[in-house]
Amino acid sequence: MLLACTSVHGELSQAQINYFEKKVRPLLAKNCYQCHSERDQRLKGGLALDTKAGVLRGGDSGPAVVPKNVSKSLLVKAVQYRSDMKMPPKKKLKSADIATLVKWVKMGAPDPRDEVAEVTQVESTIDIEAGREFWAFQSPNAVAPNAKGTWARTDIDRHIFAKWNEKGLTPNPDTNRRSLIRRVYFDLIGLPPTPGQVASFEKDSSPDAFEKVVDQLLDSSRYGERWGRHWMDVARYAESNGMERNQLYPHAWRYRDYVIESFNADKPFDLFIKEQIAGDLMPAGNDARRDELTIATGFLAMGPKSLNERNKRQFEMDVVDEQIDLATRATMAITVSCARCHDHKFDPIPTADYYALAGIFKSTKTLFNHGTSAGVRQRSGLAALSSSANESKGVSYASAKTPTNKKSKKNKRNRAPKKPTGPVAMGVEEGSVNDCAIHIRGDVAKLGQRVARGIPQVMHHGDAPKFPEDQSGRLELAEWLVSRDNPLSARVFVNRTWHYLFGRGIVRTADNFGESGARPSNLALLDHLALQFMKDGWSVKKLIKSIVMSRTYQLSSAPNPANSEIDAENAFYWKASHRRLDAESLRDAILSVAGGLKLQPPVGSVVAPLGENQIDRNVKQLAAVKAEQPYRSVYLPVVRNNVQDMMATFDFAEPSMIVGRRSVTTVPSQALFLLNSKFMLENSGKLADEILSDSSLTTPERVGRAYRSILNRKPSSVETQRATEFVAACLKSGQEESDAWSGLCQAILGSAEFRYLD
Amino acid sequence: METNLFSRRDLLKTVSAGFGYTAFAGLSAMAAKGYENPLLPKKPHFAARAKRVIFACMRGGPSHVDTIDYKPALARDNGKTTETSRGRKLMESPWTFSQHGQSGLPISELLPHLSKHADKMCLVNGMYADVPSHPECFVQLHTGNFQFVRPSLGAWVLYGLGTENQNLPGFITLSPPARVGGAQNYGSAFLPAVYQGSKIGDLNQNLKDVKFDNLRNKRFTGDLQRKQIDLVQSMNTDLRKKHSDNEQLDGVIQSYELAFRMQSALPQIMKLNDESKSTLKDYGIGGKDTDSFGRQCLYARRMAEAGVRFIELGHASWDQHNGLRGRLQKNCANIDQPLAALLNDLDQRGMLDETLVIWGGEFGRTPHVKRDDGRDHNNSGFSFWMAGGGLKGGLRYGATDEHGIAAVDDRMHFHDLHATILHLMGLDHTQLTYRYAGRDFRLTDVHGDVAHKIIA
Repeated sequence: MLLACTSVHGELSQAQINYFEKKVRPLLAKNCYQCHSERDQRLKGGLALDTKAGVLRGGDSGPAVVPKNVSKSLLVKAVQYRSDMKMPPKKKLKSADIATLVKWVKMGAPDPRDEVAEVTQVESTIDIEAGREFWAFQSPNAVAPNAKGTWARTDIDRHIFAKWNEKGLTPNPDTNRRSLIRRVYFDLIGLPPTPGQVASFEKDSSPDAFEKVVDQLLDSSRYGERWGRHWMDVARYAESNGMERNQLYPHAWRYRDYVIESFNADKPFDLFIKEQIAGDLMPAGNDARRDELTIATGFLAMGPKSLNERNKRQFEMDVVDEQIDLATRATMAITVSCARCHDHKFDPIPTADYYALAGIFKSTKTLFNHGTSAGVRQRSGLAALSSSANESKGVSYASAKTPTNKKSKKNKRNRAPKKPTGPVAMGVEEGSVNDCAIHIRGDVAKLGQRVARGIPQVMHHGDAPKFPEDQSGRLELAEWLVSRDNPLSARVFVNRTWHYLFGRGIVRTADNFGESGARPSNLALLDHLALQFMKDGWSVKKLIKSIVMSRTYQLSSAPNPANSEIDAENAFYWKASHRRLDAESLRDAILSVAGGLKLQPPVGSVVAPLGENQIDRNVKQLAAVKAEQPYRSVYLPVVRNNVQDMMATFDFAEPSMIVGRRSVTTVPSQALFLLNSKFMLENSGKLADEILSDSSLTTPERVGRAYRSILNRKPSSVETQRATEFVAACLKSGQEESDAWSGLCQAILGSAEFRYLD
Repeated sequence: METNLFSRRDLLKTVSAGFGYTAFAGLSAMAAKGYENPLLPKKPHFAARAKRVIFACMRGGPSHVDTIDYKPALARDNGKTTETSRGRKLMESPWTFSQHGQSGLPISELLPHLSKHADKMCLVNGMYADVPSHPECFVQLHTGNFQFVRPSLGAWVLYGLGTENQNLPGFITLSPPARVGGAQNYGSAFLPAVYQGSKIGDLNQNLKDVKFDNLRNKRFTGDLQRKQIDLVQSMNTDLRKKHSDNEQLDGVIQSYELAFRMQSALPQIMKLNDESKSTLKDYGIGGKDTDSFGRQCLYARRMAEAGVRFIELGHASWDQHNGLRGRLQKNCANIDQPLAALLNDLDQRGMLDETLVIWGGEFGRTPHVKRDDGRDHNNSGFSFWMAGGGLKGGLRYGATDEHGIAAVDDRMHFHDLHATILHLMGLDHTQLTYRYAGRDFRLTDVHGDVAHKIIA
């Protein structure tokens, strides 16, 4: 609701108002508004002279007017042609006009165009108390499951089993060892087991055989590459801006490595979140830790931005919006950013709550580029790292040269922020701390009342955290996000984890726990997982282990029509879902089976040495980022609008969006890739060479080897026969032996069985 | 979002076409389940006037006052400055306009071929956009929004209506620019990926030089590849039997069959050897100036005929800050004859009244001169023309001021253009929504008015 307030210019005398209205306003309107008008969104140098706030805030070079201080008022200097900046640029003002402006500044720059005059009071009709009743805003609650019998092995099983009893479902049998080891390998490290690893697991009859495998996988560095990538989907990780100015982010890879290392080190998840939102405000004992904390805040910096936006305030608020969306959806799966223009339509989040968060991010400076790329109006600078940051990692890709733009030296508007000489990262730092006014209908030119920085009201039951005067409040926000008082963060993360392991979250809409999202299919289980997660010090590895050690995780995926009648969607997990491998797992598995996967991670990224160029304009650079690399897929460059073809074809997460749940599409371009791509031809060829290298093998033995390498199983006799016939048909048509066998390997790699987890 | 590509109807079609020998063991089970193929034709909200769209997108911002927005006052005031021209001198169009057809639409001599179709054309002279900057406007023209990543117009149309030919992509963009938003301009953003556009060729690349990704097998001939696919399908069918509850596997099986057909269907569309010599000549194929865009136009007709829902053509650059006289003339020569041939051809085949043809760019140009032979960006007033698909022909709709600087009458923003296009396709732009991140999104967000006056 909008309520107009009466305008009051209490402190200005009528004479002052008259002076402004008769002399100053016409002068500004005639000579300056053409390029410096907030109303018309013409903000050269970021300066608006048609509002009081615009004059005092000034533009890129600082305040235009410091009341009563002529020498510090850039406006005066500019009109006197006493600095580099000569305004108006075409013709100097008459000396009488200059004198008018000087006198006005000396008077204290009285300006009745007070924003107060147009401040409207935005009120909300949302009932916060009633909103707190919603399940997601209530704290997690420990409920003992009502599960008798011997089926259950763990607490998770007991919660699951209780639900089955309630719904009349019967559990599937346990799965076989071959499918179990494939499942856990792909789930935990994103790679298939080798035939040898399958064989030794199948032979190991000790009661802790499976646990040993799980521990070994969680200890492997491949684990962080797999689970880090899940988080990178949510963090919309990318190495370019996307949007209409697709400037590269040559330093983004540091954040990628930070994420992978954090998962490998089993960094407590609450700390992990805190670092990403407020790392710059946390104490660091040494340079390496300081660097790590700086890089962590890259989380907030790598969103897509309208880099060519003319209106600086619009740009700022769009960045803030993106950060609010990220910070609230990634951690709490609540869509606060819906409240930018009006109260949230579904959830109890008034617009004021949005601007309470906006104040925090608006008091923050986002460091996303040097701004050396031509055609980019928005520039920020980057965060300096200690000098040891590059060297300690060794440099291959990362010898990043940032090319200087010749044009920028000439053109004042294009001047880049001062460039640090050493290694740098994307990130955030404190800006000028201030509460934010409500923007009516999201419009940067229509301001309502200011709102004290804070957290969504519905999310706290007792006292709200206090926000400091001299800091942005990101640290307080971060601490609250992962405090036990927050009803959502732990639930949201355990649900994401469950989703990655079962193909479906307990709350199906992993990124939306609000009114318009799905309800949990088993709230007691969700709460049990969340409470246990916090009790275990937010250890992600413990969480994953507790889930995969459950009997529920180890069920077979076989159909059960009676159960399907009751629960066709498997919302209660009575079977393992028959899940498709994601793009990375598919690619890594093919490379791994064909023997061409380089497990040693690359240093840096293909993007790093390319500088901040706009990638869409540069054919050579595009070819470089699209070129095939022998590394794991997580290390392939993620350039927005130019994701590698195979990744894009197999439903890679759209890197401009927060993605907790990837699409699973089945389209002919996938089959075309599997049938005809260079990647498939090459890798099936490598595998065929390997199979043919042992000349003592018979044809059926070779078929067996192909099946074991690719599918971790023996072929049936019918399959052996079909394969043999296919190879014979190829040879008969005059194909080389290597082509015939490549064709066979490609067919097995292209089968649905290879792409699905049983 | 889990999707399968085929419906029961498609399956039956496929089977009757006789492809594959092992793949269809599970067919009756599949057919019984009634899959929802997200690309199958869907019912519109109300009776559609147009079945498909061909959008000729002129990147760079074509000068409206030199082509289809006749401004006599500009000649009268040639060389003068006005308040809105910011001190620059107005420049009359170097080209003359004359009236054409029964309707007497004024069209510039730059477009002699299109002029002959004046009675089919609706000139939209009151277009305006938000900012005079290429990337923002180009992206907004395509997605409605330049602040955030949103689905493109073609993706929305495909989402709303599906497509009529399951052997070809339903949304094809020919020679789009890699800059100014790149793939975002034909992307699906939060809509399921099946709705995104398929790109063929790059901007300023003649489509005769285009190579298709993954449409040809370098190892096997068609016969052996069929055997290979049969082998894959035998495994897939076995798996399907084992997982009788996983319908997604049917999609996998079907996608192989469709892929196999697309290998020939897509290149087939791109082959012009079944077109008569006179058709090729009409489109300007083989002509020095017209070959490249002529091919795009002819492909567009072939794709339209084959049932592709949304086809975008790309041409650049219309950004004549200088060299207006030479470069605008050349641009118009590139597109005039081919587009005229397209209108004529569609008309002859009885397809024009169900095909919406649209021409325009991200904005127009200033009537005042930059140096002595150029015009600057003008987002406050510019023109599109549209034809076919339920529109009134021979109509001049909307107007700029007397000099062509700003739209003043029946103004049409991109949101209004989008709303009108969807309306002609039988879709209510306020009802075509997709729920994402907790709310219902629309192509037109909270904007958009249908221009009812231009609808026949």
